Amino acid sequence: MAISMRLFTLLLSFALVFVAVPAALAQSVGLPSPRLLTTTPMGGKAGTQFEVVVTGEHLDDAEDLIFSDCRITASRKVDASGVLTPDRYMVTIAPDCPVGLYESRIMTRLGVSSSRIFTVGKFPEFVQSKSNKTLESAIELPVGSVFNGTISERSVDYFKFIGKKGQRLVVDCASNGIDSKLNATVIIADAAGRDLLVERLGGVLDYSVPKDGMYVIKIHELTFKGGPAFYYRLGLWEQAAGTRIIRQPSTKTVNSYSWPPIGLSEHAASKEIEPNNDGKRAQKITLPCDIGGSFYPASDVDFFEFDAKKGEQWWIEVVSERLGLQTDPTIFIQHVVRDSKGADKITDVLELTDIISPVKVSSNGYAYDGPPYNPGSSDILGKLVVKEDGTHRLQITDLFGGTRNDPNNIYRLIIRRDAPDFALVSWAMHMELRNGDRNALSKPISLRGGATMALEVVAFRRDGFDGEIEITMEGLPKGVKAHGLKIPVGQSRGMMLVTADQDAPRGYTNAKFFGQSKIDGNSVVRPCWLASVAWPIPDSWGEIPSPRLLADVPVAVSGIDFAPITITAKAPIYEVTAGEKLVIPLVHKRRSEFSGDKIQMKVIGAGFENAPRFDLPIKADTSQVTLDLAVLKTPPGEYTISFVGGAVVKYSHKPDEVALVEAKTKKMMLEVKDLEAEAKKIATEAQVAPAAKKDQMVKAVAMVTAKMKAATDALNVTKGQLEKAAVTAKPKDIADIIVSEPITIRVKPGVKK
Amino acid sequence: MNIHRIYSTKSSGYISLFYIFFGISSFFVHPGSLIASEPKISFVNDVIPVITRAGCNMGSCHAKAGGGQNGFQLSLLGFEPLEDLESIVMGSRGRRLLATNPEASLLLMKASGQMPHRGGIRLPKKSQGYEIIKTWITQGALMDTSADVKFVAMELIPKKGVLQRGQEQQLKAMAHYSDGTIHDVTVRALFESNDKAMAEVTENGLVKVLDIPGKVSVMVRYQGNVGVYNAAIPLGAPVENLPPEKNFVDRAVFLNLKELGIPPSKICDDATFLRRVTLDIGGRLPTDDEAKNFFANTGANKRNQVIEDLLKSPDYADYFSSKWTAVLKNRRDDASDIVSNFAFNAWVRDSLLANKPYDQFVRELLGATGKVIGNPPVAWYKRVKDPKEQIEDVAQLFLGVRMQCAQCHHHPFERWSQDDYYSLAAFFSQVGRKPSGTRGEDLIFHKRGLAVATNIKSGVALKPMALGDQVAAIEADQDPRLRLADWMKSPQNPFFAKALVNRYWKHFFQRGLIEPEDDIRDSNPPSNPELLAALEKHFIQSGFDLKDLVRVITRSNTYQLVSTPNKYNSGDRQNYSRYYPRRLSAEVLLDSIDQIAGTHTDFANLPAGTRAVALPDNSYNRSSPFLRVFGRPEGESVCECERVQSSSLAQSLHLINAADIRSKLSHPEGRAEKLAKEKLPLEDKINAVYLAAFSRLPSSVELKVALDYLNAPVVNSAGQSVDAQKAARENLQDLVWALINTKEFLFNH
Repeated sequence: MAISMRLFTLLLSFALVFVAVPAALAQSVGLPSPRLLTTTPMGGKAGTQFEVVVTGEHLDDAEDLIFSDCRITASRKVDASGVLTPDRYMVTIAPDCPVGLYESRIMTRLGVSSSRIFTVGKFPEFVQSKSNKTLESAIELPVGSVFNGTISERSVDYFKFIGKKGQRLVVDCASNGIDSKLNATVIIADAAGRDLLVERLGGVLDYSVPKDGMYVIKIHELTFKGGPAFYYRLGLWEQAAGTRIIRQPSTKTVNSYSWPPIGLSEHAASKEIEPNNDGKRAQKITLPCDIGGSFYPASDVDFFEFDAKKGEQWWIEVVSERLGLQTDPTIFIQHVVRDSKGADKITDVLELTDIISPVKVSSNGYAYDGPPYNPGSSDILGKLVVKEDGTHRLQITDLFGGTRNDPNNIYRLIIRRDAPDFALVSWAMHMELRNGDRNALSKPISLRGGATMALEVVAFRRDGFDGEIEITMEGLPKGVKAHGLKIPVGQSRGMMLVTADQDAPRGYTNAKFFGQSKIDGNSVVRPCWLASVAWPIPDSWGEIPSPRLLADVPVAVSGIDFAPITITAKAPIYEVTAGEKLVIPLVHKRRSEFSGDKIQMKVIGAGFENAPRFDLPIKADTSQVTLDLAVLKTPPGEYTISFVGGAVVKYSHKPDEVALVEAKTKKMMLEVKDLEAEAKKIATEAQVAPAAKKDQMVKAVAMVTAKMKAATDALNVTKGQLEKAAVTAKPKDIADIIVSEPITIRVKPGVKK
Repeated sequence: MNIHRIYSTKSSGYISLFYIFFGISSFFVHPGSLIASEPKISFVNDVIPVITRAGCNMGSCHAKAGGGQNGFQLSLLGFEPLEDLESIVMGSRGRRLLATNPEASLLLMKASGQMPHRGGIRLPKKSQGYEIIKTWITQGALMDTSADVKFVAMELIPKKGVLQRGQEQQLKAMAHYSDGTIHDVTVRALFESNDKAMAEVTENGLVKVLDIPGKVSVMVRYQGNVGVYNAAIPLGAPVENLPPEKNFVDRAVFLNLKELGIPPSKICDDATFLRRVTLDIGGRLPTDDEAKNFFANTGANKRNQVIEDLLKSPDYADYFSSKWTAVLKNRRDDASDIVSNFAFNAWVRDSLLANKPYDQFVRELLGATGKVIGNPPVAWYKRVKDPKEQIEDVAQLFLGVRMQCAQCHHHPFERWSQDDYYSLAAFFSQVGRKPSGTRGEDLIFHKRGLAVATNIKSGVALKPMALGDQVAAIEADQDPRLRLADWMKSPQNPFFAKALVNRYWKHFFQRGLIEPEDDIRDSNPPSNPELLAALEKHFIQSGFDLKDLVRVITRSNTYQLVSTPNKYNSGDRQNYSRYYPRRLSAEVLLDSIDQIAGTHTDFANLPAGTRAVALPDNSYNRSSPFLRVFGRPEGESVCECERVQSSSLAQSLHLINAADIRSKLSHPEGRAEKLAKEKLPLEDKINAVYLAAFSRLPSSVELKVALDYLNAPVVNSAGQSVDAQKAARENLQDLVWALINTKEFLFNH
């Protein structure tokens, strides 16, 4: 057994929802999922039309290229003979489409693909059309343009531009922020290629041209990695002196779902006023407040002083890291009493540091010990309960700012009365298989018929809000239902189950995903962000998954492929008296074979999550589960639960393809046979033909021979396709998550004895 | 075994020690038993010096960590007399001393060789030291009291002098005591020459200088005090026609040479200068075009211009970053280290390219916070995790002070105590770590709180103090590391700038003004203190400008002297009367061979054409026997001495016959192959190879030898003539191979 007992115990010990599957039985993780991996170019200028080439995984029978904004449209490209060109689209960006980031996806036979960022910009765009890996082959880049390129392994891309003395030029390379794996090193060099200015930390080069002449830009990956995933958009433009550089847009980190609070103004009401770097020069403020400041220069500490009365409660929130900055704000509050001589007596009151993640986040170690999404932050949210009347001194600093001199490291400090609220983020539930394997992390909501997909939902609770949160999804494709497993009072985790009927038709919608609760007696609705990793990661030793928020919530149904198994309860609703046992009969509708006879399942859903795991006989057509409410102590009420486990499916990919190609092959074989007979016949006739017809007959023989050769060639191609289809369709062991359809349980009050 | 220790204190403060084993007293001394007629022997002032002089309390003997040799533990060099007394008197159940018959004491029996002693005879019977200890035992083996006289200081006579070669000088160590008395303790002091090739010193302080002229020092130690005798050994030759003084470097060096009577060699020619300075600043040979252009340039300022061009070039940054990243331990222990190692190397390299002030560079390293990918100097904290290792590395690398000893005991040659050690460690006591999400990497931050470190011996919590210097109180929310950086960059700091200029001086002259370059202490004086002080002052005044330091050094005529000795200065090893040749380092040599062979070495993960000096970490040593054989460091140590610069048979064999060298010589795109195909006169081809290798054209003799060789008919092993084209190619390969194996190629000279 490849999986160690230690690891197995570790997995069991986590109170997480991911599912473990015996590694030895499985070959790969996750049923095939369509993934759009690259588009070339990675964006375009508003008001233009251009060709886009796509690559990806499982983009079989790719159909439409879809964008998250209707002002970007695409049509399949056809060649000169009117035949659809595989993987190529003509994309049109409307002139009124704002500059920014959009999601692009492809509809496939398995449903909608994962997303790839597509940028709309304002400069003319260029696409890499030739190698530029040497100084001599540098591509000339006009000032005021964007270049879409891809770095090869162990190479450097070269560009050249003409600079004029005194010109302020900006070189901005978008990469990580547009889903690329490229950690870009950007260098401005002289015409001989000698480095002048280097940026390796994702920053922008702000360059004052010292003299007229040719200059060179070099781009490479920090560790000289490369390949299709290492793409970039290199922008070069002139910037007026004294103006603020607005960089190419970037995706949002997962933890930014909790910012901003609903209804907050875009800009802070006031600003920090330097010098405020020590207690004596503390900036006087009154509460509540909303202050914008910066951790600049290095080691900057900003002091504020305010008066507060005993018993007052204030919530303090700071945003900085959630704005995408590499900062770690920390706050320290002291009570200050000034004596008659002007001396301060200081008493420590409160220290505030990080926003702790409500869920255990992956440590990116060898084993899967949690999702790679971090809903926590190094920002601040905390409560000040004033213990004494008087002056309080608040100091804020960046724990990472000791030596870094960057005025862009800004923060916003808000001190407010209780404003209870919540924010939600969600991601597809993931699973453990091989150590280090993170392939299955990139998972679009594309449902096979009869499948139920589980999405983990995490709540950020602001200012002490502890209410129950209902989770809802609306606007689903036909035949798809969503069941939210609510987030209980004071807790942070819920679950959304999205189920496609077996006969759900092929379809795609942009759904609405939100949570509802009551705050101060009022019903509030908050959006639930969807997060996904940018790339499947086969080896977490060598690569850290890169998660981000998505702009929308696409849901699709394949209509062609089906879930390996559908597990449903015999009845949709069960009733049980509190303290008694509930037996739930299950029906297994299998559409594939499985490895092993049983799989371990656990219960998800509030009120029942402490139920012991149980073995489900995967090869049987029915089974039953017993839930002992005496042990679970589930109070009366209505609950929705589901059963989740991991199984190794013998999955056949595109089995129908074999039959189609087989039929085609047979037909072509007959055609070839007919042509062979015809050729033989004409050849015989040619032998006996009179001299006058000899030439004509020779031509006829040549013609039919050519036709026969073409048909034979075509047949050989088709035979190759048949072999390939047979290999593709051959069942393979794939580990995946099995989720039962949701079950409603009504727990009735017990009879008091 | 029951051991009862009874301490009785008399009004005089004397302490008596009583040992009772099962009621039988084997050692019983009362203060009253002192023999009135004999002067009292002081344990601290008399016995400890005897033990120290005899070598009993050396680190390899009874001061060995972990209980001392054979279980007899003494403090190193007697820095802890109370512990030593306890060990001698009470240790091993009191059997080391026998009051009733002092000469039968184990201590004396072993030290005098009357009983088997692995350390040999340290105190012959009846020697002065033996008698002192015997008397001390007889007098009750007592500890000194507060009333006893105290050793105050040692005075060394004389402190300096000028000694002719072969001359002798007797040194005297005079001990001053609290009662005003002065005693000659020469026979109890320890003497050590800092350069035994220049001066020898006997155990009784007789200095004899040898034949090498220059400056030599003799360190004298007594009771924790260190004195230094500085001798100038003049050559006494006429110093005339000195080269012009271009700057203060020349002024200080030439003045020293005048004092010592060592005439400097002449100024080197253009070819030598170009090759030397390009190797020293850019870590590479000049290109053919650079050499041609330089020779064609008739401008008076052309040497300075070359220096400027090199300082602006990324070659300078690549080369010097390879120097820094090795001592900053940018080591790849795991494949996943690649990102942090590349980022760290790039940060060093980019800092040098941008000529970041040195104080700022060090500040960013010491005060690094955040993640490696956002702030690459954080990688140093990944590699150097232990706060003790952090301060030891910082002290040695940036201050030239070796503090390692002071972790466990007082520094034997220096004033550093354990309190100094832990006070320095306190600057790193508030380094916080959080998981970073990247395997093997922590987020580094300043953990709020008062910085303190506990002396493990005394248990006292110490506040930050920088090598004895008080720094103002550090508030809980101030990062003490930044305060340490503030202290370092102070113009009054006696270590920071000195350590750097000495390190860089060594880079260009092979020998530091203080040697080793990271062992700056009173007892290890510089060979030219005026020059060191001037460089230090200049560096501070320039705003810690590293490029300017390189500029001022390489512009000097001192740097531009030939390496060939004149009739007087062949023995000079430390006064810079000529350039001291040195073998090219592993990376520079590999690049140079590639350059002359017209090839590139392929390194994993890096673009084709990446130079060996630009390699980001040590991982490439594994795949390159060349780099290993020629001593490329593994980033294990903060000491530059980890780089092996000595020669070996393996190196010679590698250059003569290794497969990688052969494949470079015969590479189809290589220089020999290309030259063989070109329709040029043979002389031109030979010139081209010489220019590439030595940045000069061949002499007429060299040209003739080469022509004769290349014109000679080539036959194969069967004696048959070889095809002309093949012969031309192989002949040129042979020529390149021969030049690679010359000292002129292998050395910077």
